[in-house]
Amino acid sequence: MNISVPHDKRANKLKSTRIAGKLVNDYWQMVWRAKEEGKLICWYEGSAINPFLEAADICWVHGEAYSAMLAARHQEVKAQQAAEERGYMKELCSYARTHLGCAVSNQRTRNDTDTGIAFGPEDDDLSAKLPPPDMIISAYAYCSTGQQWDEMTSRVFGKKIPIFNVSLPWIWGAKKDAGYLRGQEWEETSRYVERQLYDMVKFIEERTGKPYPWDRLRAMMADIRRASELRLEAMELCTNTPAPASFFDWVVSIAPINNLPVDGVVQYFETVLAEVKARVAAGEGAVPTEKYRLFFDGIMNWNKVGWLAEKFARYDANVVAGRYTHMAFWQEPSLINPQDPVLGMAQNYLICPNNHASPILIDLIMGLCEKFKVDGMVIHASRTCRAFTNPQFLIADAAHKRLGLQTSMFEGDVTDESFYKDELLNSRVEAMFEAIDSRRLLV
Amino acid sequence: MKQHVMGIDFGSTTAKTVILDLKGRMVASRVSHMGAVSGDGVKDSVAGALEDAGLTQADIGRTVSTGYGRRMLDIADKNFTEITCHARGAVSMVPDARLVIDIGGQDSKVISVDSNGLVAQFAMNDRCAAGTGKFLEALARAMEVQLDDMGDIALEATQTLKISSMCATFAETEVISLLAEGQTKPDVLGAVHAAIAARTLGLVGRVGKKGPVVMTGGVARNPAAVHHIEKALGMPLILPETPQIAGALGAALIALDDYRAEHKLAISEADDDAMDRQMAEDKACIPGCKGVPGSMVVEPALPAKGKLGRLLGAIQNNL
Repeated sequence: MNISVPHDKRANKLKSTRIAGKLVNDYWQMVWRAKEEGKLICWYEGSAINPFLEAADICWVHGEAYSAMLAARHQEVKAQQAAEERGYMKELCSYARTHLGCAVSNQRTRNDTDTGIAFGPEDDDLSAKLPPPDMIISAYAYCSTGQQWDEMTSRVFGKKIPIFNVSLPWIWGAKKDAGYLRGQEWEETSRYVERQLYDMVKFIEERTGKPYPWDRLRAMMADIRRASELRLEAMELCTNTPAPASFFDWVVSIAPINNLPVDGVVQYFETVLAEVKARVAAGEGAVPTEKYRLFFDGIMNWNKVGWLAEKFARYDANVVAGRYTHMAFWQEPSLINPQDPVLGMAQNYLICPNNHASPILIDLIMGLCEKFKVDGMVIHASRTCRAFTNPQFLIADAAHKRLGLQTSMFEGDVTDESFYKDELLNSRVEAMFEAIDSRRLLV
Repeated sequence: MKQHVMGIDFGSTTAKTVILDLKGRMVASRVSHMGAVSGDGVKDSVAGALEDAGLTQADIGRTVSTGYGRRMLDIADKNFTEITCHARGAVSMVPDARLVIDIGGQDSKVISVDSNGLVAQFAMNDRCAAGTGKFLEALARAMEVQLDDMGDIALEATQTLKISSMCATFAETEVISLLAEGQTKPDVLGAVHAAIAARTLGLVGRVGKKGPVVMTGGVARNPAAVHHIEKALGMPLILPETPQIAGALGAALIALDDYRAEHKLAISEADDDAMDRQMAEDKACIPGCKGVPGSMVVEPALPAKGKLGRLLGAIQNNL
């Protein structure tokens, strides 16, 4: 075939990201023990409000993170089946479906509603191991399912769990002075969310019965700001050719910056940055031969992270940047003032990449494509995440018309593997590489 | 050096084979229905094309495969995707084409082609068999009509019905319901073809509508599909004489490029002999020379008349 796919070519993943795997395991072990240790438990989805919770010594369970972890371990099906038995259809966001399945499984296996301690006939059944929530906080940008998901969780637990809602308005970007991080709408929306976060802290104080430890939050946000700066610096080094790390390395590094305990996050990204710098110095790339540089638009297929990393490496394709990794997860550290962090936290929640009007979103993506000197764009249309897929035809059109990039779209899903068809991806991606090759010959 | 190349399109419902000589002339083509698993169809297609050309596989210098089964063929030297091959084949059939609509058995695709005949952008059905040949096959079975007759029957429709589901399975349910309501087969089939056209229009929108538009693939032989797509597009479709073989032809042309490039410094014994004969006929000094043109032969200047002329003539004769 024209597009070479030798099976001996392997992705050269960052060694330091293995630490992320350990940190993830340690964190979930802590979560599974939390009820026995007498901790309050909060379930939440979407925005990274976990520093607010961690500072107050509340154990936090991020729904997408748990679903993603199950999918990455290929243990998601049992939870999804439990959700479907309860009536949640297959078209529902598979993050939500998986997490709701965990709630259903938890309810089925709880022996005593007073203690809420979960047990199951099989100790390795992770779908039933989550401790039930003592509170739910809903703070979801853009995604309407996210807000309903929390209501559904509440219903699974008999509507006995107190919920606090934080409304994160969509950034329309329609006013004359509107733009990325600027304009009247941006200022007003930021303040609106900031006020709600202070109200959320009062809700937390009511649950814990203690004054909120602001000093702990400030210290944590100083660490998160530093970790984010290190992460962005390492990502920036991938403008080098060959790029020393890939989109998939940054996918694996989402958990440390987004939902793991803050302690250790700075060291993690210092280690990652050191390895990336060493690779740049040695001219070492994330794939053995970097023939194509790609941008990945779309949310991650969590049961395919390693699979896709290896697949693109075999194609000599280095996926050097992506919307999911480069435009989310505390991506604007300069907005965070560690001495007074709440406004900057609100603003980082607001700039979830799906929460912008398409013109702003597309400008940001085109900027990344130019900065990382990509040859093409591979687009993952997630079957059950319409929030991410809605603007993808517009993005593809802009990539083609503004930058002359080839694009290729394939369907999959965040945690439901049944929507992914390998041959569909192969055909579309190979066609894109063939088109890139033919243009190079012409030049 | 061998004198022929082959392109094979190993599709989901049919296998197509094209054999070209080294001047790019088609010497044989064959379309066979197939069992995708057994691969009998593709074997039949290749064997038939070779037989028609009076060749054996050993006579083929380069073989390129395409289609969903492209990697399964041991005889293929290289394989390319349907996008690349259909674009190449369609543009060779209709050289000024700028948009290629190909509806095959398992997928439908729209390819935008630039002025160099290269793929500028493409879109394919992403999610299911909606709008493909399989969709038509399923509905032909449900309506108990022959696949080849569907188009002609659909053109007899007298009223506009709507098939709202693009899922092949649910569309089958809708079709059966419409028939149960007493709707006629032509009217229902008209709706089926309009649904395919609507789906195709969506793909066209993704790559940009422009013309001339050429339609390839087996569904291009269906007059109702062509009619409804033309109506939806508001543009005429150019139909090659053999739309089904566009992918195989594109594969064969890529094989030809590849084989020529590899052998650009080689010359076969037969070609060498032919060149010798041609040079002798042309009285040529180097290959390609057509001899010395008459206009370039300078006749000796005639001696000028008169005293001076005679004198010059005498001098020249004595030199």
